[in-house]
Amino acid sequence: MATPTYDLLESVTLATSATSVTFSSIDQSYGDLVLVCNLGANNANGLSAGVRVNDSTTDYSFVLMRNSGSSTQGIGGTAGYFKFFNSAGNTSSKALHNMNFFDYSSTDKHKSVLARHNVDGTAVSAVAYRWANTNAITKLDVMTNSSSYEFAAGSTINLYGVAK
Amino acid sequence: MMTLIETITVGSGGAASIEFTGIPQDGKDLVCLISVRSTGSSSFTTRFNSDSGSNYSTRKLGVDDTTVVSSSRTSQAQFDQNDIISATSNTFASMQIYISNYASSANKSVSIDKVTEENSSSSYSQIQAGSYSTSSAITSILFTHPFAEHSTASLYIIS
Repeated sequence: MATPTYDLLESVTLATSATSVTFSSIDQSYGDLVLVCNLGANNANGLSAGVRVNDSTTDYSFVLMRNSGSSTQGIGGTAGYFKFFNSAGNTSSKALHNMNFFDYSSTDKHKSVLARHNVDGTAVSAVAYRWANTNAITKLDVMTNSSSYEFAAGSTINLYGVAK
Repeated sequence: MMTLIETITVGSGGAASIEFTGIPQDGKDLVCLISVRSTGSSSFTTRFNSDSGSNYSTRKLGVDDTTVVSSSRTSQAQFDQNDIISATSNTFASMQIYISNYASSANKSVSIDKVTEENSSSSYSQIQAGSYSTSSAITSILFTHPFAEHSTASLYIIS
């Protein structure tokens, strides 16, 4: 049997609704991180959410393609965090966000992230992100962008380490 | 941990289906990696728990050769994949199906990525957001398609 290379670092299932989930003091011994979020929301129209690194509010950029309804779209831009496109679900649909953080513990390069964002059967996107910072990623905040929006109880957020 | 549960390889003469049964219920998510080639034109279908109810919905985005395509389907009897390849020899389509919280009683979120390539204008790349709307835990996965020999499907549990 080969050595396991995909380890669960932390798993959170929300017992009550919440505006954020934080993973801090992230183990620096892995090569990559994988974040899997299966989120419901307390807002019928969906909510904006995303991931913030090391409490940083700058240096995030993205390019994406998506089908979120009546049209397809390809855009790029900047944000104050790694934004979940297509929203983070709503009261009737969950969202599934899979994010791969490459070489997260390095201190000699900007961090690249590839992600897939889905809202169940209603929206789909693929995104390439960059965090223009050479610091190692030691903390991730999965958060809504407003205190009036919350992830629903039952939402799950799992963080995995992929061995070098 | 990502643990291989089973790999199924289609033998000589092909097969009409591939099925994983008795899926352990102690994981968080499932990942299925599929390499498939066709002997016919029927679509590639995915059903959970042999459920043919109207519980499957998808939103798609992709490129068919040089054309951007998108679609939406709701209340389907399965997940359907068209455009599985058969023309160019020894060429197989690749697909990943990621199922979140498969053992839970909540509706299941599904993420599908698919690529095909041939020595023709018929190449496809597609991403899909899927939903399987039942409270039942997923204990089996059934793929139906005219599978060519050497097609494979591997099921992994992430725990």
